[in-house]
Amino acid sequence: MACPARIARGLLTDPARPLHFRFDGRELQGLAGDTLASALLANGVLQVGRSFKYHRPRGIVTAGPEEPCALVDVIGARGREPNLPATTLPLTAGLVAESQNRWPSLRFDLGALADRVAGFLPAGFYYKTFMSPGWGWERLYEPLIRRAAGLGRLEASVGPHADPAETVHDHADVLIVGAGAAGLAAAHRLGATGLRVLLAEQDLAPGGGTLLDGRWARWRESTGAALQSFPTLRCLMRTTVLGAYGHGVFGALETLSAEESARFGGLRERLHVLRVRRVLLATGALERLIAFPANDVPGVMLAGAALRFLTRYGVAAGRRPALFANNDEAYEALFALAAAGVHCAGVIDPRPESRAAARAKALGIAVHSAAVVGAVGGRHAVRTVTITELDGRPRFVLEADALLVSGGHTPVSGLAAQLGAALAWHEPQATWIPELPAPIGRVAGSAHGVCGLAAAARDGYEAGDALAVDLARPHAATEPPTLPPDPEATAIGALWEVRGRGKAFIDLQNDVTADDVRLAVREGYEHLEHMKRYTTFGMATDQGRIGGLLGCAVLAAARGIPVAETGTLRARPFAQPVPFAALAGAEVRAHYRPKRRLPLHAWHESAGATFVSTGLWLRPLVYSREPGWTPVLEEARAVRERVGITDVSSLGKIDVQGADAARFLDFVYANTFSTLAVGRARYGIMLREDGLLLDDGTTSRLAAGHFILTTTTANSASVLEHLEFHRESSCAALDVVLTDILDQWAQFALAGPRAREVLAPLVALDLSNEAFPFMAVAETMIAGVPGRLFRISFSGELAYEIAVPAGAALTLWSALLESGARFDIRPYGLDALNTLRIEKGHVTTAELNGNTTADDLGLQRLLKQQGDFIGRTLAQRPGLTVSERLQLVGVRPVAPTARLRNGSQLVAAQAPGASLGYLTSATRSLEFQGWVGLALLSGGRQRLGQRLLARSPVHDESVEVQILSAHMLDAENTRVRS
Amino acid sequence: MLRIPCPWCGVRDESEFRYRGAAEARRPEAAAGAAAFNAYVYERDNARDWHCEWWLHVAGCRRLLKVVRHTVTHEIRSVEAAPGAPGAERGR
Amino acid sequence: MACAALPADIIELVALRERMQVLKALAARRGLPVPATGWIASGRETLVLCVRPERWLVLTVPAAPGSALAAWQPACAGCAATIELSAGLAALCLTGPAVREVLARGCRLDLHPEVFVPGSAAATSIAQVPVILAALPGGWLLLTPATTAEHFRDWLAATARPFGFATGAGVTVASLAGERAP
Ligand SMILES: [Zn+2]
Repeated sequence: MACPARIARGLLTDPARPLHFRFDGRELQGLAGDTLASALLANGVLQVGRSFKYHRPRGIVTAGPEEPCALVDVIGARGREPNLPATTLPLTAGLVAESQNRWPSLRFDLGALADRVAGFLPAGFYYKTFMSPGWGWERLYEPLIRRAAGLGRLEASVGPHADPAETVHDHADVLIVGAGAAGLAAAHRLGATGLRVLLAEQDLAPGGGTLLDGRWARWRESTGAALQSFPTLRCLMRTTVLGAYGHGVFGALETLSAEESARFGGLRERLHVLRVRRVLLATGALERLIAFPANDVPGVMLAGAALRFLTRYGVAAGRRPALFANNDEAYEALFALAAAGVHCAGVIDPRPESRAAARAKALGIAVHSAAVVGAVGGRHAVRTVTITELDGRPRFVLEADALLVSGGHTPVSGLAAQLGAALAWHEPQATWIPELPAPIGRVAGSAHGVCGLAAAARDGYEAGDALAVDLARPHAATEPPTLPPDPEATAIGALWEVRGRGKAFIDLQNDVTADDVRLAVREGYEHLEHMKRYTTFGMATDQGRIGGLLGCAVLAAARGIPVAETGTLRARPFAQPVPFAALAGAEVRAHYRPKRRLPLHAWHESAGATFVSTGLWLRPLVYSREPGWTPVLEEARAVRERVGITDVSSLGKIDVQGADAARFLDFVYANTFSTLAVGRARYGIMLREDGLLLDDGTTSRLAAGHFILTTTTANSASVLEHLEFHRESSCAALDVVLTDILDQWAQFALAGPRAREVLAPLVALDLSNEAFPFMAVAETMIAGVPGRLFRISFSGELAYEIAVPAGAALTLWSALLESGARFDIRPYGLDALNTLRIEKGHVTTAELNGNTTADDLGLQRLLKQQGDFIGRTLAQRPGLTVSERLQLVGVRPVAPTARLRNGSQLVAAQAPGASLGYLTSATRSLEFQGWVGLALLSGGRQRLGQRLLARSPVHDESVEVQILSAHMLDAENTRVRS
Repeated sequence: MLRIPCPWCGVRDESEFRYRGAAEARRPEAAAGAAAFNAYVYERDNARDWHCEWWLHVAGCRRLLKVVRHTVTHEIRSVEAAPGAPGAERGR
Repeated sequence: MACAALPADIIELVALRERMQVLKALAARRGLPVPATGWIASGRETLVLCVRPERWLVLTVPAAPGSALAAWQPACAGCAATIELSAGLAALCLTGPAVREVLARGCRLDLHPEVFVPGSAAATSIAQVPVILAALPGGWLLLTPATTAEHFRDWLAATARPFGFATGAGVTVASLAGERAP
């Protein structure tokens, strides 16, 4: 078959399992074990995309997740997924991939005109160019730029068919990040101690750099076997540690193998939240680019990537590759290619001599020492490489079809930096080296600036031993096994940029050039963080990993300071792009938020209730599926004229016991509870310490040292926390016990003129006004169930609230319905409840909105005059007591047919100007013709009888309204006391 | 993310706790006046330093903890039960 | 993993201020274990959990409504608050080798058998719902608020599906406490 560049047997590829795939419509063939990148290279496909800004042809630059250029769209069963690095995308049978950011085709791309006019598109060009006209940005420039720039296309695939996802919480003594030579060595030592160890590796197999050197196979195998024998060590392959979040918390993303994915219903990625005592960062080092003219032509590839493509997949990066490197390690790629029979065009090395260069010469490879690459010929692929002297004079033009580049290696220190690592500049290797504080962990191997596999392994053994000692689990010293010796190497000769004609990129994904950096400096953006934002250097999805230090060095040169003084860019989480679905985990759709169901949920459902979500609760809104007010008003009418019953089980209920219970309530409530008689209830309001209202509710005294406190549904959790906080801080000396009993008790309101007659047959109590008056409370048997009876009313009618253990809810509810049948009793929902309480002028969360005071709501008479309570002092501040404050009033439209709306602004009828207040609640009324509402109105109590406009700009409506007292119904409370 | 060693429950994630503000501030006496309460409710140093603060362990023991945390490094120096509260002396 | 409902009466005993020793003496006289915070102990047909200091949840075999509270309330007067929670908490028993793996998909605690040893108990939240959990020789005891119990059971079933999920039955307070069925 035609895979011209597949020249050897790869470590991971299986020649017996060919796979067909499509790229930009071309039918191609690869092997099982390939990545899309290796399969494309094997087919001789060099150009795989167009660049972000200039639409320049781009090829494959790396062989790993750090890839800046070879990002593709994959079109599969789940639609189009953009921005997947071809270098980590496993090849699967039938894979369909497309290149990005080109139109109409990859080779003939109109956007590439941008490259020809590049003089007009320097860094910061939008800030300067698109200044005027003012409308131009939104209508003209941005749409144009959006079309021209960018990477892949996103197609929404949200909905019930979205991918499954899950989050797994995990714990260990030590997390080792990276299973290369250092990570494996450390794992070997730590695993032997019995400590719980997690070894996370982003690759699909452990080994790291040892996978590229055949001499290390035996060590890798024996170490791997030892690791498998440790019961407390677990390996997470295909797992990238995404970020370090302090206190030993790390996030990691695992890509599932095909078998695991099938077992978990198609789950592709699993998010791990790891909590560990220590971390060992063996994250390796990344090879860096050199900035030279046209260092982005397809065929320019990092030397280490070429070695990976050859060793892992048997693919040659070129038939006639040249190497441009300033360090000995990079030569290994060329040696391996040569050994595989590839003819090497030559080496360009800025150093005068080196051990590796001598080896190359011995192999018959031409070495051009003390030289650099001054230009690359070719647009869609490398054709020639122009070699120049160090002073810029041309020396020689080499014919080559690939240029392998290496500017040295930079430790991968993103996680270390997030953990507050100190970074020290190490001149001999021209790089930063991170060091972690011992209580957090250690860095080992090439991430620690160590060169060579054997040295890295030894560093790993040492780090493992040191961590074992830190964690008080030292073990008997063992001799490290014999390791294949590292080749002797000549030191790196730092080289960052070769200046010449043409664009020299420092950030390939965001198309940032060395000239852009100098422009930034000229314009005053000298600080690294300013330069970054001005040029967008390092701000693409690859976070500029292969050019990060390069950019700093170019900046340093432009400013005339050493590289060490520019500082470093902070790599932030995530280490690689993460699908939102993986972050959301399983907390989506049905599991997005818990649903709180009333004890009678099933009954409400069978009675045809329409449910409404209020907070976490599902509550019956109305017992009808019909829209409109008719069923609501029917339910409300039952209460006003006969009797109705509603489920108020979602109200917060807190049991308060102890010798000091009454004292505690006196302090947390603005009114007094110590004077409340046993067997009585009282309406109470709580303030925050700043003097504003926190919540209201009814509190009952069951015994001298036993109260039941109720809260609004919305505030049940926050009031409990508020009370628990004060119990242990400002009231720490009191004897009081608080218990949340919300879920224990079902509670129903039985309301209406017939309520007493419905209840009487079910209790052995005398319910007469004299024996059981308004605000009376009793613990009694109700319908054969031990319960609590409260004579309290929210609807404004004669009413009882009855609480029974939730398990007996249906027994009681059914008994009440049966007993009420002769009065045509009706269950009523939240809408009818709202109608009833608005007519009565009772407040709820709409008015207790965190901005109102007791005085605003007409409750100032409840504030006790004697004794301290939360909010007492600050409630008296002038700003909270002035008469212009928004005060609670009732509102009715002047024209009975006019509709009121929540949120309408109240303005003066003549010369409407600034808002005087707004409607908080509105309902169709039963007692009055048309609508009624409650409003918060500036100086409201002084405006009773006035006419204002209720304006809803959203609906373009203005309704003339009359301002009334909020107590629109039965102001004397005769009904509730009847 | 903070991991807070609760004296009753052991080390737990920050998400199990509710932050309840600075713990040094003591509630003034009832008659202390508006200025004292204003300072108590609103005035904070917001220093780059060790900070003593209340955390309520709502998802665990529901007890109030006094935590000393560094506002820059987030290092936690000490955690103790709210002093004087019932059972506080027995906190681990 | 199997999930079974555990029928149980549940009351909470909370020591009043400075009355801890009185309560402990009362419990000792009546043969009720009072484990330290973070532990579960079993007595005769009884499980006692302590996940909040000075507070004990007492699980007993279901009897007449209110009888569990009535058995303790008078005796506790002056030394402990007593609260009925039988209907407020749903009790579940999880068994099977995959329990830890399933719980790890929502529970932030370290449930490793050497860390969360048998007899351990803790209050935490799982899948955004408050959960008290305890490791017993016969399985895992979970208590969760009644109003979110259905949601939590749905979550458990969905999460356990890849591991195999079954609805169990026949678990009693006595069997969980390690007593042989009569
Ligand atoms: Zn706790």
